[in-house]
Amino acid sequence: MPLRLVAPEWSLLVPPLIVLGTIVLLLAIDAVSERAARQTALPLALVGQLLALASLATIDWGEGTTTFGVSYRADWFALVVSLIALVAGILSVLVSAGYTESGLEPGVGLAEYLALLLFSVLGTMVVGAAGDFIVLLLGLEMSAVAVYALTAFARRRLTSVEGALKYFLLGAFASAILIYGMAWVYGLTGSIVLSDIAHTLRTVVTPGQPLDPALLLALLLLAVGLGFKIAAVPFHMWTPDAYQGAPTPVSAYMSVVPKVAGFAAVARVLVQGLQPLSEQWAGLLGILALITMVYGNVVAIAQRDLKRMLGYSAIGHTGYMLAGLAAFTTGLAGDRSVGSVLFYLFAYAFMNIGAFGVIAWLQERGLGTTLDDVAGLAGRAPLAALTMAIFMLSLMGMPPLLGFYAKYYVILALIEAGQLWLAVAIVVMSAVSAFFYLRVVTQMYFQEPGGTWRPVRTPLLGLGLAVMAVATLALGLVSGPILELAQRWPAALT
Amino acid sequence: MERLPILSLITYSPLVGAVVLFLWGNASTRAVRWIALIASGVSFALSVAMLLAFDPSQAGMQFTETFEWLPELGIAYRLGVDGISAPLVGLTTLLTLIAVIASWDPIRHRVREYYITLLLLATGMLGVFVSLDLFLFYVFWEIVLIPMALIIGVWGSANRVYAAVKFFLYTLAGSLLMLVGIVALYQEYFQQTGIRTLDVLELAQGNYSPTFQFWTFLAFFLAFAIKVPMWPFHTWLPDAHVEAPTAGSVILAGVLLKMGGYGFLRFNLPLFPEATQRWAPAIVVLSVIAILYGALMALVQRDFKKLVAYSSVSHMGFVTLGIFALNQQGLSGAMVVMLSHGFVTSALFLLVGVLYERAHTRELAAFGGLARNMPIFAAFFGFFALASLGLPGLSGFVGEFLALLGGFQSYRWAGVLGTAVVILAAWYMLRVYQRVALVRAPGEPPDPDDPELRMAITEGVPPVAGGGDADQHTPDPRTFPDVTWREALTLAPLALLTLWVGVYPLPVLDVIELSLRAILAAVTGERM
Repeated sequence: MPLRLVAPEWSLLVPPLIVLGTIVLLLAIDAVSERAARQTALPLALVGQLLALASLATIDWGEGTTTFGVSYRADWFALVVSLIALVAGILSVLVSAGYTESGLEPGVGLAEYLALLLFSVLGTMVVGAAGDFIVLLLGLEMSAVAVYALTAFARRRLTSVEGALKYFLLGAFASAILIYGMAWVYGLTGSIVLSDIAHTLRTVVTPGQPLDPALLLALLLLAVGLGFKIAAVPFHMWTPDAYQGAPTPVSAYMSVVPKVAGFAAVARVLVQGLQPLSEQWAGLLGILALITMVYGNVVAIAQRDLKRMLGYSAIGHTGYMLAGLAAFTTGLAGDRSVGSVLFYLFAYAFMNIGAFGVIAWLQERGLGTTLDDVAGLAGRAPLAALTMAIFMLSLMGMPPLLGFYAKYYVILALIEAGQLWLAVAIVVMSAVSAFFYLRVVTQMYFQEPGGTWRPVRTPLLGLGLAVMAVATLALGLVSGPILELAQRWPAALT
Repeated sequence: MERLPILSLITYSPLVGAVVLFLWGNASTRAVRWIALIASGVSFALSVAMLLAFDPSQAGMQFTETFEWLPELGIAYRLGVDGISAPLVGLTTLLTLIAVIASWDPIRHRVREYYITLLLLATGMLGVFVSLDLFLFYVFWEIVLIPMALIIGVWGSANRVYAAVKFFLYTLAGSLLMLVGIVALYQEYFQQTGIRTLDVLELAQGNYSPTFQFWTFLAFFLAFAIKVPMWPFHTWLPDAHVEAPTAGSVILAGVLLKMGGYGFLRFNLPLFPEATQRWAPAIVVLSVIAILYGALMALVQRDFKKLVAYSSVSHMGFVTLGIFALNQQGLSGAMVVMLSHGFVTSALFLLVGVLYERAHTRELAAFGGLARNMPIFAAFFGFFALASLGLPGLSGFVGEFLALLGGFQSYRWAGVLGTAVVILAAWYMLRVYQRVALVRAPGEPPDPDDPELRMAITEGVPPVAGGGDADQHTPDPRTFPDVTWREALTLAPLALLTLWVGVYPLPVLDVIELSLRAILAAVTGERM
């Protein structure tokens, strides 16, 4: 075959290129003058991402146009993933505002920090748009490796380094398994392009028949590798340590964006590539979902450190989202499975980054991260307490907050798919989760304050928290358009 | 037709007040109280207007409002009231207003936050009664939890945190399964008809299989049974009541418990008629146990508030008995008991609050002889005690009589047992009246003309001071001032309503009758 060089369709690449340009600019300014970088990095990172967000509107996503051959897809799914990644990225930069001003160690640049964060956002956008295994893996690693470094950003604190090391080792291990699984799929189908794989498999697999052992092995390897990425039980071990050890703004970021990348990868690989095997993997995901949500929520009850508690709660939420994927039935219009998960990720970005943001806000004021540190917050800082209460209640799934709508759509998807047992499991686990989310609220509102309190001004962080609180409060009521957008996934993945 | 969205106005005027209070950060305490009063007053006035305009000759929904919300999921903003919900809306706005006034003096710290919470609670409760969309209903249903738990947990007494958390978790656990029930119902209806909707009235037209009805009924039932609360789901109630501030108890007893009874009437009966008939005998058994158990527990309480709380369990037993007797008398009785209990028990909690303001204790043993220095208090207390025990001519009698009549027709033994309990009610109510208003106060020297005392002296037994084992540090009840005009203002309207419904219940029965008949027809399968 003669080698042919085709120019890529640049217009499709505008959003990721803007993010990339911002990164380059950040690093360039940092190289020229560290002082200039300190002053401009934060606004630059915000503006860059906002521009990228705005540029999403310039592309016609409905066509499902591809570039780089079929490796890069600009379809509805890619749009929603990019949207969530950028929104979460912007929120994370806002949450980092306090930390980057006061908490950075000497010799570590603010620009570096933000560049890494943006790299990870970029990687997540790439995963969403991946048309084949290579691009998918590229994005996934770009998203993860940047976060490994970010986790270790408090490099003099042992827990930070420990968390990063665990995260890195297990992440690398998972990637190896994932690649091995991809190799098996390639060997069996002769392709790394997701749509081709689905096409080939459709001719091989007959529904109702037991699966070819080799194919089953490939499926299991992929599931294990992806399970690590999204922190599904029993592949979750790195999560609590990494969440607790990382600097709080990093915890905020990594609780959301790498999860978006992970779920985007799951959707691309399983829902799109291995769709003919949906009978097998939907059942598998259902079981994983159940174990994950039970484990995360039950263990979270025992935590006294808020960041660790949110780590386990994140595992619980992974369980809910996996349940949403397990509701996959046909992939035809009207199948809510992937749409409900996308909406969940969207909602989760606001409430979880917000929850970590409040902890970061408290740390700025000299408090720790345990339950005792939030005691009496309502008397000390009523607005901060209210904000935290909104996030906690939303994570619990209380109406009319955003988290409730997210949970409702997952439950709806499950019941429409006839998976009543998972829907019941979700509500039972929501009741369990009330124990630990509510404990934060009771601490804030019903106890007397303790610890030393150092009033400082953190306007940007405050703005970010206000934005997230208002969004958590109100976005649910107008969730129609977002849901409608998320619901267009069948056009992209089938 | 352009009409005033009166139900929305009623529901959201407290919310507007809450938002104003939230934004006005440095409002003076006085201004805060007045804003809360105005917001709840507007809501009340509008609901009175709504009740006056309500047409009792119509069985269907009135003042309906519909807006598309999430059409793809069959969710819409649907409001409306019928004969069941309209009186409950009125009760809610009245008790909210009373709660605002009753909190005027007793709530002294975090006043602004308190009134914000109270007004949010009002919006939630009103939303529950006016929603005709299951999704909307569920949203309001859960919203109610948070402010109520906060009111108990922040402004309550000693053991408040435990009570607030228990209340929250208990009721949350109950209602989550209802969420699955709601979605399952939606899906079942969609599979039958191809229509995606959460409209209660439309869903009631569906024809569901017995097994489906059986389980979905249970999912809804649990949520409502915990709210009522029915025995054995009642354990959160005494704790919540005892720890809540007075206004919290008023709202809790007056409105929140009614949400359970209302839920049965609005959802369980019309949506799952066959399952209702299958479950009814078991629920009647639970109701009779609740009636008995609540009364017996009330007999042995030494805490005034706990006594009233247990009497609530007993009274609410009449409600569920009446509902699941599944006949016209029973249903009417249940509705009237709900309203009457809203007046009478709320008033009793207000009276306990009056005493608590003066004595800072609720131990019955700390009181005595209050009829002498608090005559108006004693008069109100006597009136409401009699209403609570079901004296003919007052509202409690009408409701309980009808509920028992209904129970008697369907389950003779239930009627017999329930009637017997009325004696217990008289026993515990009169005992507490005697203890608080009549007998000697603790530390009070015995009356030399008391024949009993003279006998004791001749027999060589030393005279005992009244009261007994009360804490010596509690203030002397003989020094308590009588009710203030503001306290009287909260009690008087409830007394008037109790008397009105007791003497001339016809207007109330008129309002509720047609709607109840429609529900009954749906359950028994008869056409009207």
